[in-house]
Amino acid sequence: MHVVKWALVLSIFWLLLSGFIQPLLLSFGVISVVVVLFTLKRMDKVENEPGQIGTSLRLIRYTPWLIGQIFSSGFHVTKLIWGSPDKVSPAIAKISAKDIPPSSRVLYANSITLTPGTLSVDLEEGEVTVHALQESSITELEEGQMEKKITAIWGENK
Amino acid sequence: MDFLDIVSSILLLAGVFFGFSGAVGLFRFPDFFTRVHAASVTDSIAAILIIGGLLLQTSFDLNTAKLVFILLFLLVTSPTASHALAKSARHGGLLTLAETSPQDKQESAK
Repeated sequence: MHVVKWALVLSIFWLLLSGFIQPLLLSFGVISVVVVLFTLKRMDKVENEPGQIGTSLRLIRYTPWLIGQIFSSGFHVTKLIWGSPDKVSPAIAKISAKDIPPSSRVLYANSITLTPGTLSVDLEEGEVTVHALQESSITELEEGQMEKKITAIWGENK
Repeated sequence: MDFLDIVSSILLLAGVFFGFSGAVGLFRFPDFFTRVHAASVTDSIAAILIIGGLLLQTSFDLNTAKLVFILLFLLVTSPTASHALAKSARHGGLLTLAETSPQDKQESAK
């Protein structure tokens, strides 16, 4: 099942990237897909974390919101860049991520970094160390809007 | 067609502006961690706007798919790279401005 799914995904990916349909090039594509599948199969024996990344449907619900966040905080940072440098008052704090399912914590840390103005420095034991350009972004994160959004979308099972 | 061209050039110009702002921020901000913030403006907004502008220039063929892949991979890899940089700086013992400046004030008070 898992092999069939990856065979499909990889073939579509290869076709989209190449766009050639001559038999010679297609056979190269088939060979590379088979090699990757063979490696995947072998890697399954070493793999002992059965967790899977959430399905793409959930990402479709999350991405537009994240892009909105990126823009609103990006304008803010741009204002700081062109404004006087005295307004920059960096702060660092630990923010709890215990309510977020372990498999989504990386997504949370990545989202924090992706939003300009906040940067995740460390992630351990359910705590994210966040560095921010301004104190206010830390309080905003502590209010937990992003956390709620992620737990609402990924917290349903697990 | 004309309308799409106008929208796409607005997106491209906005992307250029944000990319340039990120570069200026790299020079204006005071320490390593704040500079990473400036770079993340270039990473996120400029990348989204420029690739969005380029998407409108394609005629929805294979190039569109390739650009979407580029955007997706950029959005996954660039925060990971920033995180790796910041984490190694922190573990290497680099202090942030928030942690060093109060000490400076105390020292100058003495």
